[in-house]
Amino acid sequence: MMGKYRSVFDIIGPVMIGPSSSHTAGAVSIGRIGHILAGGMPDRVIIRYYESFARTHRGHGTDYAIVSGLLGLDPDDPKVPNAMAIARAVGVDIEFVEEDGDSPIHHPNTVVLDMVRAGETISLWACSIGGGTIEVRRIRLGGYDVRPSGPLPMLFVEEDGRQDDVDASLARIQAVLGQEGEPVRKTIYPMVDDEDRRMVGFDLDHPLSAAQRERIGSLSSRIMYLE
Amino acid sequence: MFGSIADLVSAAEESGEPISELMIREECAGSGRTRDQVWSRMDRDLDVMLAAVKRGSEGRGVFSKTGLSGGEAALLDKYRRERTTLSGDTMVRALVAAMATNEVNAAMGVICATPTAGSSGTLPGVITALRERIDLSREGQVRCLFTAGAFGLVTANNAMIAGATGGCQAEVGSASAMAAAAAVEAAGGDPQTCAEAFAMAMSNLLGLVCDPVAGLVEVPCVKRNAIGTANALICADIALSGGTNKIPADQVVEAMKSIGEAMPASLRETGVGGLAGTPVGSEFRKTIFGD
Repeated sequence: MMGKYRSVFDIIGPVMIGPSSSHTAGAVSIGRIGHILAGGMPDRVIIRYYESFARTHRGHGTDYAIVSGLLGLDPDDPKVPNAMAIARAVGVDIEFVEEDGDSPIHHPNTVVLDMVRAGETISLWACSIGGGTIEVRRIRLGGYDVRPSGPLPMLFVEEDGRQDDVDASLARIQAVLGQEGEPVRKTIYPMVDDEDRRMVGFDLDHPLSAAQRERIGSLSSRIMYLE
Repeated sequence: MFGSIADLVSAAEESGEPISELMIREECAGSGRTRDQVWSRMDRDLDVMLAAVKRGSEGRGVFSKTGLSGGEAALLDKYRRERTTLSGDTMVRALVAAMATNEVNAAMGVICATPTAGSSGTLPGVITALRERIDLSREGQVRCLFTAGAFGLVTANNAMIAGATGGCQAEVGSASAMAAAAAVEAAGGDPQTCAEAFAMAMSNLLGLVCDPVAGLVEVPCVKRNAIGTANALICADIALSGGTNKIPADQVVEAMKSIGEAMPASLRETGVGGLAGTPVGSEFRKTIFGD
């Protein structure tokens, strides 16, 4: 059984701007996932906090941390505490909501991001499990409803067309992942309204190299790599 | 990946290597990176820790925006230089390093989370003491971080390290236990002695709640790291002398987990109960946030 924490640097690290690894550094990482899913800073975002996040987000700098991530900043970027001003300057519409109810994904450090970018709506359910490590529990975008089961990193590849073509394409991606012949941990999510299109999620044991990302990018028109 | 502290200890005993070395090898295998890459990343993390200690203890120190914390590490250092301390010079230097780190954290400075930002002062405090007391080399200091990381990984995977899920026992308690194990290895103790020190340090802080005033990582967090450091050094000494915890480390981790799960939400990083809920604690919240 693979643990939620895999690397010694999940424990010793991250190097970050204070004050909280879960409510600040982890929040930056959740924002960064939002940035990747939206393909950049969203035009409009509603940031919904639950439980401990709802109670202590102001004291922990969670607001500017999430916005930093949405802007694409790293947790140790000195601009992190000024992220709200940066986002306001580029005209992003941001709303914070302190939800009263329990977390919909059953974790006290939960945030849900409802984002709009270029007319497309994207939602992300994530939690910060401690020490800066996060979990992505649900993603809704482009007609897909994805519920990942394992820790990051993860790769999502959109496939359509005949089953034979899809199988061949997946085999090529698996070859790049270096998992040839091994049982690959993957999950297939059909599009809600179009069963011929599907999103394939791969659970990865370690981060992809730049070369691997480039090669996979050339194999599919739509990929999302979350780490 | 090590499933338990018992696994970690028996793997180290079988190979005849220190736990830090096992952690380095495991990290190389898991990440696909070379030993040099893994080592130099940890070396940089140590630099960040030492820089935060320096920044928080030099001159008048650093102060948070809210005014709730700051300047007390520098004050303690000045006191140490001018007076005869009650707990001894090495101990007080260690406490200065621990508090300085968390004051920098509260002032939104750069720190290295070990395992969390709220508990980031505990390990630098212990490393400062080891440098003073046994003249621990740079290499030895980096090794401390790998040893601490190995124990922290088991704790994080088998219990929790977030105040919101397990209270302060999961943050400063874990940091203190990790640091105690690292101190034992640095002082030449064997893997089982590391595990005893870990078990003792965690046992001593079981039940500690996370009750940050105004929801800020300042009061009581800064001084909780001072106790994390002192507790780690005390438990390392007891273990090195041959003292044992009686309850094995893995079962202490299990106990920490079940205590964390039994804690009410008001005492798990919500800024509601405990010190946060006292009249003065509530007053601070009103003054800082206006509600």
